Amino acid sequence: MTFALILEQLFNGFQTGVTLFLIAAGLTLVLGIMDFVNLAHGSQVMIGAYAATVLTALTGNFYLGVLLAIPVTFLFGIVLELVIIRHLYRRDHMEQVLATFGLILFFNEAVRIGFGPGALFFNLPQSLSGFVQVMPDMPYPAFRFSVIWVGLACAILIGLFVARTRIGAMVRAGASNPEMTAALGINIRLLFRLIFAAGATFAGLAGMMLGPLTAVEPGMGEGLLILSLVVIIIGGIGSVRGAFIAAVIVGIVDTMGRVLLPVILRSFMDQAAADGAGPALASMAVYILMAVVLVFRPTGLFPPRG
Amino acid sequence: MQQIKGWFTAAPLLWLIVLLFALFPIYTTLADLPFWNDVAMRIMLLGMAAMGLNLVLGYGGMVSFGHAAFIGIGAYVTGIANFYGLDNGWIQIALALGICAVTGMIIGFLSLRTSGIYFIMITLAFAQMLYFFFVSLEQFGGDDGMVMNRSDFVFIDLWAPLSLYYMIVAALALTALLLCVLVHSRFGVTLRALKSNQSRVEAMGLNALRFRITAYMISAMICGLAGALFANWQEYVSPDIMHWTRSGELMIVIVLGGLATLAGPLLGAVVFFLLEEFLPEILAHILPAYAENWLLVFGLFLIAVVMFGRGGLIGVSQKLRARFGKGAG
Amino acid sequence: MGKPVLEIGGLHKSFGALRATRDVNLAVKEGEIHALIGPNGAGKTTLIAQIYGNLKPDAGQILLQGVDITAKSVEERVHLGMGRSFQISNVLMDFTVLENAIIAEQARQQAAFRFWKPAFQDSALIRGAGQILARVGLQDRQDRLVSDLAHGERRLLELALALAADPVVVLLDEPMAGAGPEETQNMTQIIKQLKGQTSILLIEHDMDAVFQLADRLTVLVEGTTIANGTPAEISANEAVREAYLGSES
Repeated sequence: MTFALILEQLFNGFQTGVTLFLIAAGLTLVLGIMDFVNLAHGSQVMIGAYAATVLTALTGNFYLGVLLAIPVTFLFGIVLELVIIRHLYRRDHMEQVLATFGLILFFNEAVRIGFGPGALFFNLPQSLSGFVQVMPDMPYPAFRFSVIWVGLACAILIGLFVARTRIGAMVRAGASNPEMTAALGINIRLLFRLIFAAGATFAGLAGMMLGPLTAVEPGMGEGLLILSLVVIIIGGIGSVRGAFIAAVIVGIVDTMGRVLLPVILRSFMDQAAADGAGPALASMAVYILMAVVLVFRPTGLFPPRG
Repeated sequence: MQQIKGWFTAAPLLWLIVLLFALFPIYTTLADLPFWNDVAMRIMLLGMAAMGLNLVLGYGGMVSFGHAAFIGIGAYVTGIANFYGLDNGWIQIALALGICAVTGMIIGFLSLRTSGIYFIMITLAFAQMLYFFFVSLEQFGGDDGMVMNRSDFVFIDLWAPLSLYYMIVAALALTALLLCVLVHSRFGVTLRALKSNQSRVEAMGLNALRFRITAYMISAMICGLAGALFANWQEYVSPDIMHWTRSGELMIVIVLGGLATLAGPLLGAVVFFLLEEFLPEILAHILPAYAENWLLVFGLFLIAVVMFGRGGLIGVSQKLRARFGKGAG
Repeated sequence: MGKPVLEIGGLHKSFGALRATRDVNLAVKEGEIHALIGPNGAGKTTLIAQIYGNLKPDAGQILLQGVDITAKSVEERVHLGMGRSFQISNVLMDFTVLENAIIAEQARQQAAFRFWKPAFQDSALIRGAGQILARVGLQDRQDRLVSDLAHGERRLLELALALAADPVVVLLDEPMAGAGPEETQNMTQIIKQLKGQTSILLIEHDMDAVFQLADRLTVLVEGTTIANGTPAEISANEAVREAYLGSES
């Protein structure tokens, strides 16, 4: 366990964290403002990844592909909200869970029909395939490094937007008191649609950044969805700031856990058992963290009404 | 006597389905379709677990997204006991029920301090913890699970044809009876009242937590029993049983049949299985290229059920009867 | 009318800079109807929440029949004899009127945690439930689903449930809320009949009803009690006229 290795894993954890934040931001606003549980948010990640892969292949240029995929993902979010989501705002959470669960099934199969069940490979351009010297003697994959920057930039963008603009004020009002916001005469339906689509777009962006790192395949968003739900619960529903802090914590705990736990376990277990148990116990860690937070802070760390 | 009869007449559809399951092997034996006995057993076990969840979900109003964990505990207690040579089925079931009761009490106690979406999430979290815990147990197969022999139930030989089948029928009937009794009892009525208006019930001096944790424990035990029997049927246990999508499946089954009805969960389980079996077949006939993608249709169906089918099959049929019954009469 | 059954002394509650309850003193004597009045925003809701047990006061004391209940939970207070009706009817909509009463009756008997006999066919409960409904005249509507009841009938059921456990003191939170003139008259008569059976802390805006019913009043303005006494005394009180009755009449 060298220092460089730990530092590298910290960077990875941070990178996972900002990616989680991109997914969690939309989720927390939609749940906080529209009181809508969207399990299909993970499908948004998948749609973004597929859109970028296809457009990159079509244009032959990674940057162009991603740039074009963003409005496509946004449009997809608008359409989804119009056709299905907005009819479910007044339903109870369980019904929303079931309906969006149905959407997951639908989207996964649709993608399977369109692109086959296997993984697509999303190749990186030369400019992003190399390494960056983040510190002397510490090369770090350039793409992951850029993911961190993109994620941070988005976090700052969203944070400033919510805190400084008029629409942002409406969003904040909506997060802490949806009824009052509607009573103030603000076009609630349009606001909801835009919030939903914006959240979907950031999730799609996360998918575009994950694609090259993992694989672009049906169901790629599910694991992240559950993790994002954990993030927004820890952070406090409706709080963008909470989502960011919680996402970074979860990203680091998860990554470091996966790396450190097998090492710790090896000291009193044989290697095979430790390597098998390690990742599983690391996965537990995040849920234990959430349960502990809920026991002491039943509404998360930074609830907006708080 | 009147009272006992009342439990059966309160849910005629439920007992009809149980009876049909009891008589089903006559058909499969005559038609020489033993495979369908296995399908029936799986439906019964799914229905049983769904009935357990319905107690807290439908009647108690607690949206627990983690009940598959209890099915998993029941299965693993059976599998692990067998692994260590403790293969007396009765003791295993007693153990499974006991462990589920305690786990249910702990998880219930911790989770019921929250409500709404937080409750859904914390129950999911506990289920995920248990899922990953069992995945980490390398000596019991970890991710891949482990094979096991059927347990020894002393005077019942599980290898005899239809032994396990009727054991499951008996368990199903017991669960059905338990639900009928509970739902109408003072306890059940109070639980339902809590769902309807917690403030009012508390203003009567009743402790909401006491009733809810008890319901949670009972439902956990029912799921545990289903899990133990499932492990015996499958002769294999793996963490897949307790994946969060299984909890989702239980909810789908309940909502499909009819939330907060006695027959709903079992009816829903039947329909769910029929869909799983026949949707691919139907698709194979009309759009052969897409037969494998039947989940697409199922996903749409689920959305439609949520959006247009309030009350599930039972609810919808009641509404139709009310509308057309009045017209005809 | 004799000893106080409910005594509130020196109650304080602040939310940050907002002092919602300031040195509130109030006593409900045995068998009386004691009205709590005050303009909107006076802090009645916060005060009721503290009396009932949903909110912990920052300072002060609440005594129920001499027992200090300031730190006790809602459940404990109900067991010690406190009852409550809610401003917005908290009746059980999915059940019939009789079923509502049965649920209240089994709670009254402290025998709700039972698993065997069906509750709604239990003769031991039905009798008591009938009496609960008779108190407010709802026994003829017992088989109606509460969701089918008129607003006024729901308020009556709300009252019946509040009285079900024979409380020593009952908090009636705006029982006339949303009721028409006929329903208000009916409710007033029923509450009048309760005098002597239980002690009542009545929170109400309808001044006609208040002056018909109350033996004594306490006036709450901006979180503090500015006056208490008989209806005659209160009507004559200058400070009260200015703060409240003046703007009302």
